[in-house]
Amino acid sequence: MLVELLIVTALLSSVLVMLAPDEYAGQFAAALSLVPVAASLWMYSVFDGSGNALLAGSQPAFETVAEWITLGAYTINWHVGLDGVSMPLIVLTTVLTTLAIISAWTPIDERQSQFYGLVLFMEAALIGVFAALDFFLWFVFWEAVLVPMYLLIGVWGGPRRKYAAIKFFVYTNVASLVMFVGFFALVFGLGDSISSLGLPAIAQALNAGELGSLAGIDPPMLKLLAFIAMFGGFAVKVPVVPFHTWLPDAHVEAPTPVSVLLAGVLLKMGTYALLRFNFTMLADVARANAEIIAIFAVVSIIYGALLALAQQDLKRIVAYSSISSMGYVILGLVAFTPHGLGGATFQMISHGLISGLMFMAVGVIYNETHTRMIGDMSGMADRMPVTAGVFVAAAFGYMGLPLMSGFAAEVLVFLGSFQSEVIQAAPLFTSIAMFGIVIVAGYLLRAMQKTLFGPFRLETDYEIGRAPFQDIAPLIVLLLLVIALGVAPDLFYKMIQDSIAPMVELGELGGGA
Amino acid sequence: MAVPAEYYLVLSAGLFCVGLFGILTRRNALIFLMSVELMLNAANINLVAFSFQWGNLTGQVFSLFTMALAAAEVAVGIGIILVLYRNFEDLDVTKATTMRW
Amino acid sequence: MAGETFTAYALVPAIAALPFAAFLVSLLFGRYMPKGGALAGIFAMGGSLAISIATLLTVAGILPGDPAYHETIWQFATGIDTFDLHLGVYIDPLSALMLVIVSLISFLVFVFSLGYMNDEGETGLARYYASLSLFSFSMLAFVFADNILMAFMFFELVGLCSFLLIGFWFREDAPPSAAKKAFLVTRFGDFFFLIGVVGIFATFGTGLFANVTRDGSTVQSFPALAEQMMNGQTPAMASDMLDIVGMSPQAWITVLGLLVLGGVVGKSAQFPLHTWLPDAMEGPTPVSALIHAATMVAAGVYLVARMYGFYALSPTALAIIALTGGFTALFAASMGVVKQEIKQVLAYSTISQYGYIMLALGSGGYVAGVFHLTTHAVFKALLFLGAGSVIIAMHHNENMWDMGGLKDKMPVTYYAFLSGSLALAGIVPFSGFWSKDEVLFEALIHGAGGNPLFLVAWAMGLLAVFFTGFYTFRMVLLTFHGEPRTETAEDPHGVRWNVKFPLAVLGILAATVGFINMAPIAKLTNLHIDFLHTWLGGSELVAEEFGTGLHHYEVLLEEVAGVSAAYPIGGEVTTMLASAAVSLGLALAGAGLAWSLYSGPEPVEHTNKLGGVKTLLMHNYYQDEYQVWLARDVTLPLSRAADRFDQGIIDGIVNGVSSVSLLSGDRVRRIQTGVVSNYAALLTLGLTILLVVFGLVGGWF
Repeated sequence: MLVELLIVTALLSSVLVMLAPDEYAGQFAAALSLVPVAASLWMYSVFDGSGNALLAGSQPAFETVAEWITLGAYTINWHVGLDGVSMPLIVLTTVLTTLAIISAWTPIDERQSQFYGLVLFMEAALIGVFAALDFFLWFVFWEAVLVPMYLLIGVWGGPRRKYAAIKFFVYTNVASLVMFVGFFALVFGLGDSISSLGLPAIAQALNAGELGSLAGIDPPMLKLLAFIAMFGGFAVKVPVVPFHTWLPDAHVEAPTPVSVLLAGVLLKMGTYALLRFNFTMLADVARANAEIIAIFAVVSIIYGALLALAQQDLKRIVAYSSISSMGYVILGLVAFTPHGLGGATFQMISHGLISGLMFMAVGVIYNETHTRMIGDMSGMADRMPVTAGVFVAAAFGYMGLPLMSGFAAEVLVFLGSFQSEVIQAAPLFTSIAMFGIVIVAGYLLRAMQKTLFGPFRLETDYEIGRAPFQDIAPLIVLLLLVIALGVAPDLFYKMIQDSIAPMVELGELGGGA
Repeated sequence: MAVPAEYYLVLSAGLFCVGLFGILTRRNALIFLMSVELMLNAANINLVAFSFQWGNLTGQVFSLFTMALAAAEVAVGIGIILVLYRNFEDLDVTKATTMRW
Repeated sequence: MAGETFTAYALVPAIAALPFAAFLVSLLFGRYMPKGGALAGIFAMGGSLAISIATLLTVAGILPGDPAYHETIWQFATGIDTFDLHLGVYIDPLSALMLVIVSLISFLVFVFSLGYMNDEGETGLARYYASLSLFSFSMLAFVFADNILMAFMFFELVGLCSFLLIGFWFREDAPPSAAKKAFLVTRFGDFFFLIGVVGIFATFGTGLFANVTRDGSTVQSFPALAEQMMNGQTPAMASDMLDIVGMSPQAWITVLGLLVLGGVVGKSAQFPLHTWLPDAMEGPTPVSALIHAATMVAAGVYLVARMYGFYALSPTALAIIALTGGFTALFAASMGVVKQEIKQVLAYSTISQYGYIMLALGSGGYVAGVFHLTTHAVFKALLFLGAGSVIIAMHHNENMWDMGGLKDKMPVTYYAFLSGSLALAGIVPFSGFWSKDEVLFEALIHGAGGNPLFLVAWAMGLLAVFFTGFYTFRMVLLTFHGEPRTETAEDPHGVRWNVKFPLAVLGILAATVGFINMAPIAKLTNLHIDFLHTWLGGSELVAEEFGTGLHHYEVLLEEVAGVSAAYPIGGEVTTMLASAAVSLGLALAGAGLAWSLYSGPEPVEHTNKLGGVKTLLMHNYYQDEYQVWLARDVTLPLSRAADRFDQGIIDGIVNGVSSVSLLSGDRVRRIQTGVVSNYAALLTLGLTILLVVFGLVGGWF
């Protein structure tokens, strides 16, 4: 019942905050959001799940199954449960939501109660996405995330917020549709071998090779088509080049706390879904087309990093570098090795924290300077030493500095993908992907040098002072988390390994299809 | 010695076509309303004819419903036409196009 | 640990932990502390030095304990059905020696910083001492790392610290730029290193430097596994990897070795990734001393020595190391000849000297390489601190042409600096002579033993001796001799004990540290005074169990890499003496030339006589230009083109799809004229068409 409790708490908080007066909404929301944080941390500490929730022989923690709707031959269950992949993501969601709320205190100065209410509503939906083990339930949460996000960008965003919000909404929604069609092709292809839309049932049936033909398409082709549809659908969310163009626009227009959640958690929905659907249910297709997927990954890494190099807007830099970082996740997933899959999952968490940290740091500077253009400012470290220090730390975290979580994640992905026998020429792909760490250093060092260092210069008609404590505090918390995970990846990595270990062999025998 | 059903159908089709012709060619809203009435009555003839043919009263009952409906329609229609006239000082249906998009 | 006797090894993690604690203290409380947190660092480094010395003595068998030690201290990431990653401590003669060097130099640099930073009234001292402590922490942890992943991690942290310290004066333009360059260039090298690390793990399943016992079973090191691979006993995992890459064991080991070497070349500033180092002079001078002598730059070559058992398996990798080293030695020395700023000369000398170390390691002179690393650490720290003292005196003017005549004004600095210079130039009996001589001797005999490439490298190294002698004494003469050429040089700023004390310690060491391995005298007299040789040979335990001893390497070099010695001039002794005589002669010739050109009271510039060569040398052979060109004129335009492509084509398609939908919607809605008659006509038409279609399909007609 704990997962339900989490979701209900977040929903209730959302309603309460919506009703609260604007002046206190921020503090109220932060206080209420501490409940899910505490609850999820407690769940983490008593977590006793084992195996991969979608595969046989697993024992998800905090599982509940209750019959909900009967739809023709299929039963739709309220089915939630956590395994080693979803547990860390839930912790990430709750922690990041609280920190994002605190970081919103300064920049959000109108309609506060609605803003915080929507953020909390999104938290509830996000927890649902990561916990749901029934397709219908999962899809409801999946789509429910879009609504608050659309409003958050469209109402509180920058000058081109309408364009960005509509682009985000339409793009991801069309992608959901494509994915939906692909998934239901599989469901209908499975025919009588499943009686519910439960993800474990479908995954196990698919891996047992029970897929029949549908509309004259024989199973291998059906699998391939469904794989393409689902990959395309999720690739928009991740985003994978060339489906990424909504992301920079959304990030640039979104207010800082929304960017934090967008980069920190929403992108992980895409990779999480890829892991659950494409790489668990259709592992054999993923294996057969590993090189193509790896090319997508490598192109995302290098191309995203190159784009970041060309940007002048700090937020755009971080946005494009997110594309690059998510490429590592794809590369790790497709390697089908313990460290590859584990590293990819770990990178989801790590990137969530680090990109959140980066966006917050940019936001703190923006709060004071009201510009994000690197050409406009110089020597900010002189006026905002603590912020600059955290910015430097965050940037080095992004570059994969050892003893911060980014390094652990990247090196695990590389270790996993280098020795992959699934991808032909895996060492070559890995080596090219690694070049991303050089480019990332290039653009972040350049951005830091131009904005933080050198003689102080910024044209304003007011004094630039130190950032208030409430802006810095979430940064420090995140930084400490990043370092903690970097020093001891095992905090999450052990449970991740436990959950992804059954996936390593998945689809190896061709699945009988 | 019943009149064969075909005759009624021809009559009904003819009446329908008259109504249709009126709708397609005239611009006056009142004429429009009348033409619609003609078409409805064409349908009524059909209903009654088939009711007689099969010895089943359902068709006649249905034609009563249609008449009631037509009366209601005229009431609403006249209302619309009055508003139309007040706004455009004309009954020409091709003038009132501002609601299209 | 009950029942076991307490040894110094139990404290080894504290060697790194103490500076880390100092880092935290300085960072958080430094600004409230006297001296800006310097004392925390000094005490921490003092503690580290004491433990390092205790460790050294334990390895030597003077204190109780085994002669080598391994302990896993932290489980990093646990994998299922795959290799675990962990951090651990490995102490053998090499790492024990290096720990002492690093902690000694760091300690002295901290003390010196009191004079250079605190007394000069710098701001941001807490940040300075925090970074410096973190720097020492990273380097010390790197030194005792027991596996290559841990080594890589701290290698990178060293890079971060260099970034922070080089860019210490961030309010100016040049230091942040230099810091960026240093990090970026070394990052480029580390890219290859990381591929190497990952490759080593993927091939051997372990990154351990030495065979160790973990959880009751013996885990073999990757050099040992590579050695087995060369002997045809390929482990299953490694043969999978060989299948993937499609290479022979020999070729794959070479490739891995060269990849790791990329990191070494970057950090140790070898050609062509040396360009960051001269720019790094923008940092405070004590930092330069630390970077050049004991930490960052030393980290690269230390890594080669650390995994020497791996390189010894690949003659190709060895030859490349030797050639890179020899070439860099000559190349950098030639640029040092024309520089005008005292720190620039020292910067190029560092690059050149690390070239020698690489030359030694590459040509099979493991002891010589480590020996030169040791002596160089001492005399280069000395020279930088001496230069720092001069810079304090000169009110932060670094141009040697503005100095002159400082000899009488600051005698302690002068004599210490002279001691370091004689060592750098390789004049007997100062430390640099012994080590450089051994480097060249090893290169010569192994080259003569059938490796012509080593001979080429040796020739370049030998030629560089002349240049070294020249630029060293040019520097000394211009700085300290002659008449003062500016008013500041007339009346220099005084320095205090905290500057003089480190100089004195290092001055004495620079003169004497060479005595730890006087190979020529040992050979001549048959006395066993080549202590370093014996030291690195290690005990039975090191050689046989851990597999990192010198004798093991010698066997590998001889049998696997085919590196053997021959004595071209008579026997071993005569060759050694001849080699020593030649290199000493060249050094003296260089010094003599400098003396003849710059010794008068009013020396004048002679560099113009070099003509076009001077321009070339002043521009550092246009190495910077092409790297800047690569970054600014190739990569940036490429990224801009990618951006235009992205905005124009990819986003264009997305926006295009939306425009097409909008446009077609706009067109289609025109059917809706608002004229009721038209709708009615369409209705009728539609019905008719439907009827006709149904009719045709249904076969009514």
